[in-house]
Amino acid sequence: MSETPSHGPNLGPVKYIMPKWVRGPQDFVGGIALIAIALFALWASSDLQGMHGFSFGAGTAPRMFAVLLLGLGIAVMVVGLVTEGAHLATYAWRGPLFVSLSILSFAITIRPLGLVISAFATFLISALGTHETRWKETIIVGIALTAFCSFLFPYGLGLPMQLWPRFLVQ
Amino acid sequence: MSDLFSNLALGFHVVFQFVPWSPAWLGGVSIPIPANILLCLIGALVGTLVGVLPGIGTIATVAMLLPITFGLPPVGALIMLAGIYYGAQYGGSTTSILVNIPGEATSVVTTLDGFQMAKQGRAGPALAIAAIGSFFAGCVSTVLIAVLGAPLTKLALAFGPAEYFSLMVLGLIFATVLAKGSVLKAIAMIVFGLLLSMVGSDIETGASRMAFNIPELADGLGFATVAMGVFGFAEIIRNLDAGAEMDRDLVQQKITGLMPTKKDMIDSAPAIVRGTILGSILGILPGGGAVIASFAAYTFEKKIAKDPSRFGRGAIEGVAAPESANNAAAQTSFIPLLTLGIPPNAVMALMVGAMTIHGIVPGPQVMQKQPELVWGMIASMWVGNLMLIIINLPLVGIWVRLLRVPYRLMFPSIVIFCAIGIYSINNAPVDVILAGAFGLLGYWLIKHDFEPAPLLLGMVLGPLMEENLRRALLISRGDATVFFTRPLSAVLMATAAFLLVLALLPSLRKKRDEVFVESET
Repeated sequence: MSETPSHGPNLGPVKYIMPKWVRGPQDFVGGIALIAIALFALWASSDLQGMHGFSFGAGTAPRMFAVLLLGLGIAVMVVGLVTEGAHLATYAWRGPLFVSLSILSFAITIRPLGLVISAFATFLISALGTHETRWKETIIVGIALTAFCSFLFPYGLGLPMQLWPRFLVQ
Repeated sequence: MSDLFSNLALGFHVVFQFVPWSPAWLGGVSIPIPANILLCLIGALVGTLVGVLPGIGTIATVAMLLPITFGLPPVGALIMLAGIYYGAQYGGSTTSILVNIPGEATSVVTTLDGFQMAKQGRAGPALAIAAIGSFFAGCVSTVLIAVLGAPLTKLALAFGPAEYFSLMVLGLIFATVLAKGSVLKAIAMIVFGLLLSMVGSDIETGASRMAFNIPELADGLGFATVAMGVFGFAEIIRNLDAGAEMDRDLVQQKITGLMPTKKDMIDSAPAIVRGTILGSILGILPGGGAVIASFAAYTFEKKIAKDPSRFGRGAIEGVAAPESANNAAAQTSFIPLLTLGIPPNAVMALMVGAMTIHGIVPGPQVMQKQPELVWGMIASMWVGNLMLIIINLPLVGIWVRLLRVPYRLMFPSIVIFCAIGIYSINNAPVDVILAGAFGLLGYWLIKHDFEPAPLLLGMVLGPLMEENLRRALLISRGDATVFFTRPLSAVLMATAAFLLVLALLPSLRKKRDEVFVESET
C-alpha cells in the first residue's frame, strides 16, 4: 500500500520479475497489452464487411485503427526493450478491490432495491477501500449523503429513479 | 464591428433572460427566474469547489454533471458546464497557495511561489493577485472568442471533408506534442480511443461493430461512461494508493490583508499580461490547454526575469503569470469547439457530449443556426468571471474550511455521485459496471504512465474522422492523395508531419520536457 504515482525511473520499492534484458519493463508490458488489445479488435471486427469499390465498409475503419494500434504497441514494446525505463509499479489491492465492489453492488442493487439502500450500501463498501475509515463518522456522513441524493436526483433534478425496494412499493 | 456588438448584445440578452419556472411540487404556480444567471452561478460555485478540493478533477466533474443537464435547456446546460471549467481555474490556486497541494493539475506551478508567499504571511496578496490575474485573463479571452468566432466560422464553412480530416489529424498531433510524457505513448492512446469509438453501430451501414450482441453496446460506448471511469474512478483508486490521509499542512494563520501592495501590482501587471497572451495562444491550440499554459507561463517568467533565483521563494510573478495563463487557456479552448466543432481537449470533448445530448451537432453551422446558444455562452463567461472574483476573494474563508474535509469521507461520496450519475444517463446498470471496468483500465494506464486524456479525445473524434475520411475518399473516387493535393488540406497535413518530426527530435524533446520540469521539483 505504499506507492506514489509512477513518474521517472526511480520508483520506490522495486521487485525484479522481469528478465534482465528488458530494460524498461513498464513500457515493455504496456506495449504488449496494446498489442493484445489490437489483436482482439482485429478478431472482433473480422466478420465486418471491408472496402467495396471506393466506399468504406463497416469494418474498414475499425481494422485500420486496430492495425495502427498494433504498430504503435510494437513500437512501445520495442522502446521498453531497448531503452532504460521505469520499472513495473506495484499495485495496491485494497482500494481497487473495494471501490470496484461498491460500483458493482450499486449496479446490481439499484433496480431491485432502490436508490436509498443501494446508495448507502455503496458508500459503506467503498469506505472499506482505506484502512483509515472511522466507522462512526462514515455512517453519519453516509446517511446524510444518501438523504441528499434521494432528494436531489428524483425531486431536484426530476430524474426517474426508484427510491425504495420494489417489493415494498408493490 | 457592429456585427460583434449586436452579437454580444444578443448574448447578454440570453444570459439575463427570465424564464417561468413551474416545478411540480409548487402545484402549477410559475415564478419567473433568471435561469441562465443562476446556472452560471452554480457552475462557477461547483467549479470553485472542485478546483479547491484536490482529488476531484474537472473532467470527472463535468462527466458527473452531464446527466444532470438532461432536464435543462441547452444554453443553460452549456453555460453551467463552461462555468465549471473556468471556475476550477480560480479555485485551484487557493489550494496551491494555502496548502501546497495543487487543487487542479493546472495550478501545479502555483504551489512553488504561492505557498512560499503564504509562509511569509503574504497569502492574502497571493490569492488576490491570482484572482485578479484570472479575471483579467478571463475578460481578454472572452473578447478574443467574440472577435475570432465569426471569421473562423466562415473559414470552417469552406472546409470540405478532406480538409476536416486533415485538420483533425493536425489537432491530434498537436495534442500529443503539447501533452506531458512520451509522444509515442500519447499517440497510442489516441488510436486506442479511436478504436473504442468504433464500438457500436456503423453510421452508414447500420452494421453492429464489436458489440458482441450486448444490447447496451449497440449504441456504442458512451464517453461520459468512459470519462467517469478513467478520470473519476481511476483517480480515486490511485489516490487511495497513496493513503487517504493526504498531507495537508494548511497555513494556519488567519489570512489578513487581501489587498496587494502597490509594488505587488506593479510587479505582477506585466506578468499577468504575458501570461494572458501565452495562455490564449496555447488554449486555442489543441492539446494540453490550461495545463501546459500554466507551466509555459511560469517557465517563461523565470527565463526573462532579471533575478531568476527569486522564483521558488515567493516571487509574485510566479503566481500571477501561470494563474492568468490557465484561465485564458481554459476559455480560449472553446474557440475550436464553437467555430470548427473540434474539441481541443478532454473537457471540450465532454462539452461535445453535452451538445449531442441536446441534439446539437457541433460545428460551424451552430453559430449560424443557433446564434443565441453560442453568444449566450460567450457572454456568460464574462458574467461568470465577475461572479468568480467575488466567490473567490471575500469568501475565501469558506473554501479553506472545506479543505478540512478528510479524503476518507470525500471519496465514498464521489463514488456514489459518479455511480448515480452514470446510471441516470440511460437508466442502465450495465453502464455503471462498464464505468467501473474503465476505472480499473484507467488505474492500469496510470501505472504504466499512459495519459488518459488523449484517449478521450480520440474517442470523441473517432466517428467524425471516420465520416470525413469516408466522404473524402468517396468524392475523390478512392484517390488517397486528395489529402495532399488540395492546398488547404496539404498545408494542414504538412504542418502535422512537421510537428511530429520536431517533437521526436532529441534536442527539442529536451526543451519540451524542460517546460514540465518544474513539477518534479
